[in-house]
Amino acid sequence: MSEILNIQGLYKNFGDNQVITGIDLSIDKGQVVCVIGPSGSGKSTLLRCVNLLEMPDGGSILFHGQDILGIPPSSLHAKIGMVFQQFNLFNNLTALNNCVAGQMKVLKRSKADSVERAMFFLERVGMLPYRDALPAQLSGGQKQRVAIARALCMDPEVLLFDEPTSALDPEMVDEVLSVIRTLKDGGLTMVIVTHEMAFARDAADRVVFMDAGRVVEDGDPKALFTAPKNPRTQAFLARTLRG
Amino acid sequence: MPTTFFGWIAFLLEKYWLLFLSGAINTLLIAVVGTVCGFIIGLMVAIVRTITLRRGASRVKRFGLQAARGFLSAYIEIFRGTPMIVQAMVVYYGASQYLGINIPALTAAFLVVSVNTGAYMAEIVRGGILSIDKGQTEAAIAVGMSHWQRMTTVILPQAIRNILPSVANEFVVNIKDSSVLNVISVTEVFFQSKSAAGTYFRYFEVFFITAVIYFILTFTFTRLLRLLEKKLSGASSYTVYGSQSSYAAEIEVKKE
Repeated sequence: MSEILNIQGLYKNFGDNQVITGIDLSIDKGQVVCVIGPSGSGKSTLLRCVNLLEMPDGGSILFHGQDILGIPPSSLHAKIGMVFQQFNLFNNLTALNNCVAGQMKVLKRSKADSVERAMFFLERVGMLPYRDALPAQLSGGQKQRVAIARALCMDPEVLLFDEPTSALDPEMVDEVLSVIRTLKDGGLTMVIVTHEMAFARDAADRVVFMDAGRVVEDGDPKALFTAPKNPRTQAFLARTLRG
Repeated sequence: MPTTFFGWIAFLLEKYWLLFLSGAINTLLIAVVGTVCGFIIGLMVAIVRTITLRRGASRVKRFGLQAARGFLSAYIEIFRGTPMIVQAMVVYYGASQYLGINIPALTAAFLVVSVNTGAYMAEIVRGGILSIDKGQTEAAIAVGMSHWQRMTTVILPQAIRNILPSVANEFVVNIKDSSVLNVISVTEVFFQSKSAAGTYFRYFEVFFITAVIYFILTFTFTRLLRLLEKKLSGASSYTVYGSQSSYAAEIEVKKE
């Protein structure tokens, strides 16, 4: 498989607070990588560095072998999509227009093409009947599904999920996770920061465990969950899986 | 000659109704043009002032942005820090003495009120932009929108709704404060009143009428703007789809 993302020696600090302290990570095309770890271990910051919502302080991130700092922002962001914990749907636009706006403005697609594509993906996440609803009218799970459709409309090569289900009620978690599962079947490369251990174990091709700003363990989900090598991973999993 | 207060009011109205009317129209015109242009200036200034460069940006861009920011800050500080009556004098007489241009008084009025209002609007709009959740900007960045696209499609439509009361307030302020433009002989309602009062030396009666005119203007327009606000804040009821217990629920919600 060909490499799509390559993170080398990544550092990021906020003032004196070192959040990421040297991460090397290579992700192949079509891989589904779940990033797990305790809060404050730098998982979200790692994702935010990959699509430059945060500027890395050291190291480099290569997308198809090219430094992301050298890629024009609009095309970088179209190719590396992002789904947020707080959904962040555009509050002034309907579900449909949330999906249309980026296509027309950034990809310069015609209105008809944009709408057609938006309808296709809204259908796929089961939100087509709600296309005319404003975000305030939708539940958390519905908003997140629209947010996923919005990201898909840009034809991303990589989709980053920053704790997509953490702000959701337990019943809504499944509707979002099942959408993500269908994307995996479609062959999309995904990096998912999550606290859903069962999902990470079943759906991921690979699980990365992070702690204190670095990657502690990285490997096959079955192996990592059943027989973690690192003591830090063991302790974390023991606590989470028991709870 | 009338002898009572109401007698004078009736007399003056009959004699000078055209003067009052044309003054009121000019006042309103100045307030509308000044507020609309000022609002547009405010939007533009706020868009420029909220630009952030990413770290790899070239030195030229960096310098250009710094220069633009410095210029705009100076503009806002100067125009908020000096009285409009003085600005009017400086612009009007400055243009004729140093540039040799005799601007028509009304044009000078439009210019001064617009630029003055723009300085206040810039701060109001900036406040409105800051009131929008950061996640909206991040999501717009994440789909690849440029600063301009983020502002025009996502941030400003939401921000403008939030700042509408302050914008309406600026409009009312402009109706009243355009009276200072009488110093450069703009024929707005205050200037016209002075002319009317001078003939018979009936200052109290004339300015009583003037006060009523100003009040009618401001009161009518605050009501109209309130209606507009209501309209922009959306329908009075809306439907929420889906609930915890029932996936297909449709709940009608009535706003206060």
